[in-house]
Amino acid sequence: MFDFEGCFFQPTCSGETMTINGDKMEKENHILVDDLKKDLDQGRVSRREFIRYAALLGVSATAATQMAGMMVFPNTAVAASVKRGGTIRVAGPVQKVTHPAQFSWITPTNQLRHVAEYLTYTDENNVTHPHLLKNWQASDDLKTWTLNLRRGVMFNNGDEFTADDVIFTFNEWFKKSVGSSMKGMMGGYLDPTGIEKLGKYQVRLNLKNAEIGVPEHLYHYPAMMLNHKTFEGDFIKAPHGTGPYTLEKYVAGERCILKRRKGYWRKGMDGSALPYLDSVEYTDMGTEMAPMIAAVKAGEIDMIDFGDIGGAEAFQALKNDSSVNVYPVATNQTRILRMRVDMKPWSDNRVRKALKLCQHREKILALSYFGQGLLGQDMHVSPKHPEYCPIDTPKYDPAQAKQLLKAAGYPNGLDVNLAVGNGWKEIVRYAEVLKQDAAPAGFRVNIQTMPNSQYWEKWTQVDLGITTWAHRPLGTMVLNLAYVGDAAGKPVAWNESRWVDQEFSNLLTQANGTLDLEKRRKIFCKLESIQQERGSIANAFWINVWSIARKRVQNLVSHPSLYLNFDNIWLKG
Amino acid sequence: MAEKTPLTAQLKKGLVVLFASKTAVVGLVIVLFWLGVALFAPLVTDYGPLEQDWKAPNQGPSWEHPLGTDELGRDLWSRLAYGARIVLVILPVNETFWLPGGTAVIGVLVSLILGAALGLVAGYRGGWTDEIIMRLLDAMMSIPIILLYLIIVTAIGASAVNVVLAIAIVGTPGVARLVRSLTLDIKTRDFVRAAETRGEDMIYILIREILPNAKGPIIIDAMLRVGYAIFAMGTLGFLGLGLPPPSPDWGSMVAKGREFILSGSPWAALWPSLAIASLVVGLNLLADGLREELSRYQ
Amino acid sequence: MLKFILRRFFLLLLTMFLVSIAVFVIVESSPGNIAKNILGAFITPEQEASFLAQMGLDKPLPYRYLTWLLGSDWLAQSKVGMPLKRIRTEEGFDEWWAENEEGNSVRWQLEGEDLVATIIQPDGSILKKNDNQRWQKGEKKGFFFWGIDKQNHAVLWKKGSSKETWTFLISAGWKKSSGGPVEYMPLKKGFLRGDPGVSLRTGRPVGKTIFVRLRNSMVLAAIAFAIVMPLALVLGIFAGLREGSLTDRFLSIFGMAFSVIPEFATGIFLILIMANWLELVPGAAVFGGDYPWERPDMLILPVLTLTLIELGYVLRITRASMVDVMKSAYIRTAYLKGLSTFKVIVKHAVRNALIAPITVIMLHVNWLMGGIVIVEVVFGYPGLGQYLLDSALYKDINAIEAGTMIMVMIAVGTQLLADILYTFLNPRIRYS
Repeated sequence: MFDFEGCFFQPTCSGETMTINGDKMEKENHILVDDLKKDLDQGRVSRREFIRYAALLGVSATAATQMAGMMVFPNTAVAASVKRGGTIRVAGPVQKVTHPAQFSWITPTNQLRHVAEYLTYTDENNVTHPHLLKNWQASDDLKTWTLNLRRGVMFNNGDEFTADDVIFTFNEWFKKSVGSSMKGMMGGYLDPTGIEKLGKYQVRLNLKNAEIGVPEHLYHYPAMMLNHKTFEGDFIKAPHGTGPYTLEKYVAGERCILKRRKGYWRKGMDGSALPYLDSVEYTDMGTEMAPMIAAVKAGEIDMIDFGDIGGAEAFQALKNDSSVNVYPVATNQTRILRMRVDMKPWSDNRVRKALKLCQHREKILALSYFGQGLLGQDMHVSPKHPEYCPIDTPKYDPAQAKQLLKAAGYPNGLDVNLAVGNGWKEIVRYAEVLKQDAAPAGFRVNIQTMPNSQYWEKWTQVDLGITTWAHRPLGTMVLNLAYVGDAAGKPVAWNESRWVDQEFSNLLTQANGTLDLEKRRKIFCKLESIQQERGSIANAFWINVWSIARKRVQNLVSHPSLYLNFDNIWLKG
Repeated sequence: MAEKTPLTAQLKKGLVVLFASKTAVVGLVIVLFWLGVALFAPLVTDYGPLEQDWKAPNQGPSWEHPLGTDELGRDLWSRLAYGARIVLVILPVNETFWLPGGTAVIGVLVSLILGAALGLVAGYRGGWTDEIIMRLLDAMMSIPIILLYLIIVTAIGASAVNVVLAIAIVGTPGVARLVRSLTLDIKTRDFVRAAETRGEDMIYILIREILPNAKGPIIIDAMLRVGYAIFAMGTLGFLGLGLPPPSPDWGSMVAKGREFILSGSPWAALWPSLAIASLVVGLNLLADGLREELSRYQ
Repeated sequence: MLKFILRRFFLLLLTMFLVSIAVFVIVESSPGNIAKNILGAFITPEQEASFLAQMGLDKPLPYRYLTWLLGSDWLAQSKVGMPLKRIRTEEGFDEWWAENEEGNSVRWQLEGEDLVATIIQPDGSILKKNDNQRWQKGEKKGFFFWGIDKQNHAVLWKKGSSKETWTFLISAGWKKSSGGPVEYMPLKKGFLRGDPGVSLRTGRPVGKTIFVRLRNSMVLAAIAFAIVMPLALVLGIFAGLREGSLTDRFLSIFGMAFSVIPEFATGIFLILIMANWLELVPGAAVFGGDYPWERPDMLILPVLTLTLIELGYVLRITRASMVDVMKSAYIRTAYLKGLSTFKVIVKHAVRNALIAPITVIMLHVNWLMGGIVIVEVVFGYPGLGQYLLDSALYKDINAIEAGTMIMVMIAVGTQLLADILYTFLNPRIRYS
């Protein structure tokens, strides 16, 4: 095992292989990297997938890119146009926050990720880089991960970032009283007793199962690194992090102000420490999109944070506006129509299939989301997931749906209630189109709208509802979160449809342990068809998202998870 | 002696009063227009209100769609017409079952019944009954209307029946107040004294003696209340608390159309706003005109 | 007169009391809990129960209403056995502390099975020490202790009686312990003592937020009032004087039309025309750190929207009243007495004509507040109306109650004011 400095995005590194003590060292990669390379050479994996998996296995992105046969261009051209100073004004909700590990909304992370940081960083191409880590190594069997911390990183209160902070934060995730989603994500392969301190800057994770996605999981949005000396459960009271900004003001429901901090460890393209901006100001303008759009047009606001609110209307309104830049990205975000299989009538798979056949997908995508996305195929693996195995898209067939309903014992049709939150306008449109198109099959859909807050109260209880699902880079992540049971066979907490299928679960466990991408994909072919055939969900589309900002905002990158990064953007003019 | 005139004579007198006022006539024309559209909706529209055309969303006025289409390609004129239906003519209890009368109309009717009952009893009995009833009603009237609507509808959910309930609850105190002051005045009249002397019970007096003589102001007030109710439905719909989709509720239409104004399609929001405004104007003119004439009569 | 005012004031209090109960019952008894709302969709049942307990939402309805009204600190004080006080730190956070036997402020936390006290010494330094002598024996096996934790709750900690769980301590690693919190009592002083509580939605004290929002709404309402009222009264008088003329017709129709177009419609189309097509004024209200009066350009459209609808309404009322007055015997007498037209109008007619509109305006406040909610939503204006809407949608009971109480006070208060004004304007009325 060997280590490299991950410095693909550091302007002070150029695109060469590392030298240590002046000698070029032999590259010794993880054994799977060679397998991946073979797959790449034989065209079974794309270059993008290769780089991504290699990076997860500890290869620096630079080296991985070179191995993929691509050129690496240093960013010297852009460095000249960097301008320092200024304030960026963002419109977005300012939510109530106490413990970062409990984060369930994206906007707080967009604000606070600039105060406290993560060990890794997954970029918009789904490639994971080290961030607060210098690098990491994985054992051959992927059950032992050694994390090497970056040295000399200081918290904004003067404390040094060490392994104690990492271990403290990890254990916060596993505390029952905290109830973090990190526990759900990592608990399947890691117990807190497996966290070992090796030194002041080194931590070892001893997993109980093999897992390749560890670095990516460390970038899950609640995973900010906390100061073990000062954190006592409320981040706002003790906002100490390693990030480029300090928390000047945080008033939930109103404003959040971040100010530039001295002594941040990353340097900008001009050689001095980041960030370029003086401050970031968030204003909570409520939940209606129209005032925010008006504010952007008028220049009162530089950008809107779409993390928790939909962006399609803003896209429509602003796409032709000359004062605004629109940056699109296709994502694995979607809207899932899910049916509770432990309640009638959805316990009968014929009824589930019937409803799925009532989706006219092109129409739904066109009317709900203005055609901005990809068609869904009634299973939760998107065409953008690396393990995606192409399967057919079901067609709109109300006649067959009618037959199925009849066979299931509903010759005169069936009344169903569909719960939707009326703050998600595209979901309301999805429901209205579905209601109309399901009528010929005999479904009488009664749409029950409610404020979003009420939908979240009820979403796991209703028998039929449409839920938003955020972007996750790996197909296995969602399938493991929402479509399996625990050791006793009971559905896991996030399994809103209560669907547990033995064959599916077995295949999924197999896929988790399969590290070869091609083999994994073959298993996914089976997983996808099972879910399409007898699963508990329907989905008609995957959505595009956008970062929309006024033209003076430079170097903005659109992230599929709608994470905003104010570290290295600057303002022009 | 009680003043009892045959129904036809009363109606005739009402029409004479009405047509004497130009304002009332204008109002009547507008209200009749919407009433007609609501009753004959299937005949005056080319499309159903729920028919979606996914190739033509958010269109402006054209030959096929005289008022344009909404975000799901539904004909706006047809949604206006069927929206009028829901407000004035038919109350959709659920998909299959409906009551005649329209959401606003039934809501006001219920508040009339409840309010009249409370007002009659409070005005006639006086004393502690009156105090208690009026204090409670005052308390209700002090809660700002919008807040009352908000709290009720967010608590019990948004559906046609619940909107009717909310309208009824909000309107009752005002009706009760009016009926009470009318009762206070009428109960001093001779024919009421006569009935009391005869030994009639309270219910008889209230319903057969007092109420018929109060009906003029009550009816006019009711017309205005239907206007307020329509306004309220529009506001609730705008806040997302109106009738559930895909119902052609005018307020919800404005709320949904609002997003597309900034993208250049103001039609879906424009027509329902004008519809609400015109219907409420009509009702107000009708009520105002009648009131002017009635006061002139007296 | 004084008796009258006192009686009405007492009625105001009674009304507020009744309304607070009604609102509480309606909001709290509707289905659904807010734990998933705030913590997110993916929480476990234990977390949900723990969150609800910490918020005090697991207690029965009457108990919750009483603690909202009267506070919980006196209840907690009897359990803890020490006086409790609330202090505000420099950064503006509220902290509750108990006062121990030496008179120093103390709080506790549970680490494994150890009760650790944080004590503020007289010289201001902070001392942390084990405080295990405070454990008291429970009825069955185990020990218990009522203390104050760092999140402003009174907590009942128990040890030795429940099953053991693993807990992690930075100093000692993983340990098995049987101690844990069993019951929570969030500490507050109660609405009657000036503490409206903490918002469930934002976590901040409602009082602070509502004050700012109220101020913002008042700015909007005050400007609208100041513009509309004089204008509408003048125009109404004008129209009434020229009853039947073209001017009158025009003004009447104009007034009528604007009074019936819903605020959301006027607002939306004003944005479209003024802000988008003509680009004259901003279409949304984004103040950032400024006070609303520092950005008058952002106030123009919201004020205009509010104004138009009020203008129509008040104009019609004033006109009708003026028409009535001009026909009255009183005015005819004044003419017959030989007074000039001008004197008749200004000294007599106007004063009488204004009685009705002014009292109606006052009574209209109730309705006006609804308009403010809509206007704030349409323009994103950070006022009381939008705050109430968001709180209602979120079932944030403390915020809803506080906002309702304020609105009721304003509504009933203006009614009282109207009655007093009416007495002064119309000396023929006497109140017993």
